[in-house]
Amino acid sequence: MKEKRNILWLCALAAVCLLGLAAWGLLGRGGGTVAVITVDGQELARVDLSQVRESYDLPVDTAWGHNTIRIEPGAISVTEADCPDKICVSQGRLTGGGIPIVCMPHRLVIQIEGGDIDA
Amino acid sequence: MPKGTRRLTLTALLAAAALGIFALEAQLPAPVPIPGVKLGLANAVTLFAMRALGRKEAGAVLTVRVLLGALFAASPSTLLYSACGGLLAYAAMCLLTAVIPEKRLWAVSALAAVAHNAGQLLACLLVVRTPGVLAYGPILAVSGIITGVFTGLCAQYLLQRLRKTGLIK
Repeated sequence: MKEKRNILWLCALAAVCLLGLAAWGLLGRGGGTVAVITVDGQELARVDLSQVRESYDLPVDTAWGHNTIRIEPGAISVTEADCPDKICVSQGRLTGGGIPIVCMPHRLVIQIEGGDIDA
Repeated sequence: MPKGTRRLTLTALLAAAALGIFALEAQLPAPVPIPGVKLGLANAVTLFAMRALGRKEAGAVLTVRVLLGALFAASPSTLLYSACGGLLAYAAMCLLTAVIPEKRLWAVSALAAVAHNAGQLLACLLVVRTPGVLAYGPILAVSGIITGVFTGLCAQYLLQRLRKTGLIK
């Protein structure tokens, strides 16, 4: 009985994990080419990555900190940040919609919109 | 030692341990490049305090750890995230320890960790006001379950061992 309860709990938690991973995988497949950069809820810039011919850097300096955003043909990434964990930098290049790059301490979100559901 | 002094000393000791673990963990590089994902071993101390001492003491340990942790280890801007996460995890622990026995403290811990990550995500949503961050919900639930089971087992084994020494009831 006790063992059964443990197994039941483990199965339930494992099922949630699998569902979560599946959802994460599906979310990561979003399309779109328009990168939207927001800081503290305010839209800072909007770039159509399919129109970018040459890579360039966009420095973002706000009250919360500094980030350097690299804009390339078809991709966007954060290459520099002065936050302690630098998770936004290790998130790498964003090429499609669904999952945004987030720098929580600097309130920065980079998201790709448009594509199939372009309004 | 009088009983009240004993409880106070133990609570203070646990708060210090939680803060130490939290500060140490903040120095480690992020395990995966996903914002909000971390082991959260300090939550094992909160859980331990709740089972060994009580809700009030666990609340005190958590409050001290979150406030001083933001001051010493993390940047102050992350205080909001850890406060929201901590509050939700604490509420989940209070509710769940009442219905789930200590043998399955790991399950309590898993659900509390998911609650912690949910609170963190909500705080993040309030701050950045960009609904796109909700895409992190599923993966944060997964990471909460995995890390929660681990930290819960830590607390569970520690309780078992320390009960044998008679240090705690």
